Amino acid sequence: MRRVAALVALLASAPALALDTGLTVELEARHTIGDPDDPSKIDSDPGIGVEAEFRHRFNDGDSQFNFTPFGRWSSRDEARRHADIRELYLLHVENEWEFLAGASRVFWGKAESNHLVDIVNQTDALEGFDGEDKLGQPMLRVSRSFDSSTATLFVLPGFREREFLDQEDPLALPFPVDNDPLYESSDGNDHVDAALRFSGYRGFLDYGLSWFHGTSRDPDYVPGANGEMRPFYPLIDQFGIDLQLTMEAWLWKLETIRRTFDEEDRDYTAAVGGFEYTIFGLADGAFDLGLLAEYNYDSRDDRGQVALQDDLFLATRFGFTDIASSELLAGVFYDLEDDSRSFRVEGNRRVFGDARLSLELQLFTNVAPGNIAYHLRDSDFIRLALEWFF
Amino acid sequence: MLKQTSMLTALLLTLGAISPSHAQTPEERGLEIATAAKQRDSGWEHMTADMEMILRNRAGKESTRKITNRQLEVQGDGDKSLSLFLEPGDVAGTAMLTFSHGLDPDDQWLYLPSIKRVKRISSKNKSGPFMGSEFAFEDLGSREIEKFTYKLVGEEACGDGYECYVLEQYPQYEDSGYTKQVAWIDKEHYRNIKVDYYDRKDSLLKTLEFMDYQEYAGGYWRADRFEMTNHQTGKSTTLNWHDYDFETDLDEGDFNENALKRLF
Repeated sequence: MRRVAALVALLASAPALALDTGLTVELEARHTIGDPDDPSKIDSDPGIGVEAEFRHRFNDGDSQFNFTPFGRWSSRDEARRHADIRELYLLHVENEWEFLAGASRVFWGKAESNHLVDIVNQTDALEGFDGEDKLGQPMLRVSRSFDSSTATLFVLPGFREREFLDQEDPLALPFPVDNDPLYESSDGNDHVDAALRFSGYRGFLDYGLSWFHGTSRDPDYVPGANGEMRPFYPLIDQFGIDLQLTMEAWLWKLETIRRTFDEEDRDYTAAVGGFEYTIFGLADGAFDLGLLAEYNYDSRDDRGQVALQDDLFLATRFGFTDIASSELLAGVFYDLEDDSRSFRVEGNRRVFGDARLSLELQLFTNVAPGNIAYHLRDSDFIRLALEWFF
Repeated sequence: MLKQTSMLTALLLTLGAISPSHAQTPEERGLEIATAAKQRDSGWEHMTADMEMILRNRAGKESTRKITNRQLEVQGDGDKSLSLFLEPGDVAGTAMLTFSHGLDPDDQWLYLPSIKRVKRISSKNKSGPFMGSEFAFEDLGSREIEKFTYKLVGEEACGDGYECYVLEQYPQYEDSGYTKQVAWIDKEHYRNIKVDYYDRKDSLLKTLEFMDYQEYAGGYWRADRFEMTNHQTGKSTTLNWHDYDFETDLDEGDFNENALKRLF
């Protein structure tokens, strides 16, 4: 907090501070359409989310400052009343070099159904069900661009713990969590993690090679007091490869990781691979139709522990060419081992000129006992959100 | 490569000028005019410009998009371009990086700021509409001679009192939505004044008019306003260009993945 105050003081003293600002306000309502056995579960949860963005460029545009605070207020799930600093950094560009200090978010990877390689940021588990919302991660980042590739080094001080939904939330874990985590590192959450990434393209191939060493963003759960479970964050190394071939209307995608632990018998390999094929200009140019198929593999081969261990993802994507830029993605996750199925629909369209209406529908159609998602079997939900941009 | 090309072009132009014109076919004359137009618009190296796009439906209802553009001229290949979307608010911060390659497919990446993800996308969608407008992606791409074959079909007055060549242009790249384009090019500065687009059934689909040309540093002409009218749907799109700048300090390093992510 003191560091933030010092930075604000520094910026306030900067001459002729011209900030670009942006503000996003989102009204959302999530409604459970399943029929939970447990009447204490929240059935409907309207809320509001606000994200502000302050940007400033200086040094002839070679330096940038960004501050992006985010907050959510939820009417029922009190855990979802939370705030985060998504971005708070200074960035400087010097020829082919780029330096960043502060909190930021980074995305790595190519696949659609699973983001295995992506590891720098903690998932914001209080936000979207798809896990694509991330907490701001403190970092020092140095990046050098070459002709058709980029090498980036990350030093990651300050671990961000995962946060957990209230037990009354239908999407919460099947056990109460005592969020006083345990760490394998003797430095606890002060362990300084490190990561390297080399990425680029060559003709129709886009590639990324990455390595991470430090505290895993995914906790294990160990028994704690009062029947609660405590998160335990092990130290890991993760090596990742992500590839995409872009050949006409075909995108071929592959991500694979090797994650290693101190206890070698916990080491595992996981992969996701498949394609997206797009048929452009259907119905006289009214929409583009994408067909997606991805297969997920995990060497732990444990459907009770891993969500996507032997699972097929099939989906269609509609991209409408209308003025509202409507998009719709509808897909099914199919567990080939136990026949569990879940459907997912994501859609959005522009409304009122420059607002956005989003729809999310998640149906746990058929979840087999013993599957990691079994506790969600009655948690089907629909979520509508309306965002305004100022 | 550039020097050789320009010398060859100069030689061809000289030969064209001194040889009797009846020795040339309309196709040769067409290519010569297209080459001269490209020649006049070569050597600008890099530029930036802001664009306001006004989409109008048949009933005249308007909606606006704002995009800022930077371009890098690449000798011996298509140009590089970066487009940052500013409005409407739901796409603010989205950016597109394109390395165009003449007859070969372009390389294209899209940056999605909400999840900070860069995606390589298919560039096969040449005939698809750009942001819901009457401009197709191919209408806004890098202009390369080999993308068309040409035929001079006439000479007549056009636009605001210009004397023009009338040139038929047949797309040679894959996935074009057109059988041909007819372009009116002014004889003095070799600028596009008007283009008619013919769809795959060879019926007149759209007309693009270039208005309010200005001359910028280095002798490069740019129209302040593009008017695209779709004759089949009654919809139209206006592009208003602002703040053309040909004296930037852009280089290769401003056209890569890192640059794409830090644009906004």
